[in-house]
Amino acid sequence: MNWWQWLLVVVVIVLLLVGGFVAIQARRRRGGVIVDPARSPRSRGGKGA
Amino acid sequence: MTRLMRTSELEKRPVVTMGGEDIAQIKDVVYAAGGGQVGGFTLAGRGIFAGPLKSSLAWRCVSALGSDAVMITDESVLEPTDVVLDSSAATGGSGGNVLGSQVLTDGGTDLGKVVDVIIEVSQGGARQCDVVGYEIAASPGLESSGTNVLIPLPDTIAVSGEHLIVPASAKDFVSHDLAGFGAAIEQFRAQLEADR
Repeated sequence: MNWWQWLLVVVVIVLLLVGGFVAIQARRRRGGVIVDPARSPRSRGGKGA
Repeated sequence: MTRLMRTSELEKRPVVTMGGEDIAQIKDVVYAAGGGQVGGFTLAGRGIFAGPLKSSLAWRCVSALGSDAVMITDESVLEPTDVVLDSSAATGGSGGNVLGSQVLTDGGTDLGKVVDVIIEVSQGGARQCDVVGYEIAASPGLESSGTNVLIPLPDTIAVSGEHLIVPASAKDFVSHDLAGFGAAIEQFRAQLEADR
């Protein structure tokens, strides 16, 4: 292979690695709403039950 | 004074100390399975390369929940995530994300899937933050099928596994926006109280 073909392969690999890392980070940082079953039931400020 | 907001509005909101340091951003909102009280927030670092942090922010340590930032006194108020998540995290318990969960009535009707959670933030003397409703992608069980609607919750919430259970009468108090949702919650809870 020519040098520019090797360069192209390296660039593609680097782009794939960076893209994968960013995708994993985005997934790790994505928020949600977590139910915490350990917290005991309680009634809220003067609204009954 | 209280205000309603979607939990998605809190996601990625910066956590700033009174000294002006931007130390983290909100990742998850953690609430109690029984009473719906928001216990705190898990955090992620700032910047695209920062992942989730090992410390979290308990609601009692929040100085102010502003529209642009969550204010705390200083970094020392952050606690280990296990503490904020109580024993559910420490024991590998069943605490899970409710987004995407199916909402069922106590009569067994599927109302839809949760796309967002509505919280009520009380300010002033007794600062409190409670889950008061779900925004759901309505299923054919509701008249507004195919759209997103807001459904109120009773004072005591039933959450188990993948299903969130609400009283069947909740579908009579569905709202389409936050503007009228506060009144719908009050009416719904008043009716539940009257039925007891």
